[in-house]
Amino acid sequence: MSADTVMFYLYAAVAVAGALGLVLARQLVHAVLCLFATLFAIAALYLLLGKEFLAAMQLFVYGGAITVLVLFVLMLARPDPIAQAVRSGPTRWISLALCATFFGYLAFILSSSSWQTADAHAHDTASLATILFSRYVLPFEVAGLVLTIALIGSIVLAREEPPDSEEPEEGAA
Amino acid sequence: MIGLNHYLVLAALLFCIGLFGVLTSRSALRVVVCVELLLNAVNLNLAAFSVYVAPKEAVGASFVIFLMVIAAAEVGLALALVLTLNRTTDIEAIDRISALRG
Repeated sequence: MSADTVMFYLYAAVAVAGALGLVLARQLVHAVLCLFATLFAIAALYLLLGKEFLAAMQLFVYGGAITVLVLFVLMLARPDPIAQAVRSGPTRWISLALCATFFGYLAFILSSSSWQTADAHAHDTASLATILFSRYVLPFEVAGLVLTIALIGSIVLAREEPPDSEEPEEGAA
Repeated sequence: MIGLNHYLVLAALLFCIGLFGVLTSRSALRVVVCVELLLNAVNLNLAAFSVYVAPKEAVGASFVIFLMVIAAAEVGLALALVLTLNRTTDIEAIDRISALRG
């Protein structure tokens, strides 16, 4: 086994373990920390794919901003511990059967399909920047607009009604 | 050698685990966190396709960037909604929320 294979399985194991922890943890804080492990492993997988810029963005946006934002909201919101727990009973088993069936179906399709893969060679960040600022420049600008609107919207939504106790919520990352 | 299918099966597994989390969570905050996992699984798919299927241009990688923007906007709005719901109502379980206004 080459080093790439070993590293892939290592990162994949961390990602799946973190995802399972996210789903199964009783405390919401633990779930968010497990999600952070998964996000970190996915950033490592991007590095393995040769996508350094995506790995950095993954760490900045997901690992840095989104996880911290969720933890802040968790502290501000003080959720009910009973409602934090995951569902039990028939809902859980039906969901489990549904998701397992879906995964089995996906795995079956993936194993029976063959992609026309080219030589896997990673393109660098410069080619990503080229395509982002030439062909996809309009979606790029629209994405900026979406972020601005989401920022304004989340400030409007999360603002306290009385003017004396205002704590505006930083919206998007 | 790690092939494309390895990444696709891993992404499918992460997606299904996240879907299970969305279906079984009772608090809105947990749903938001699980949706992040779903989006990450899709991102992993896009990055793998970008490297293995279309290595000439970084189209898939640019899609990952756009998805990250959408995910950031989504999580910001969703967390603002969670905070507002938490302040205006006592309801925490997501299946008991029936009105966003009033």
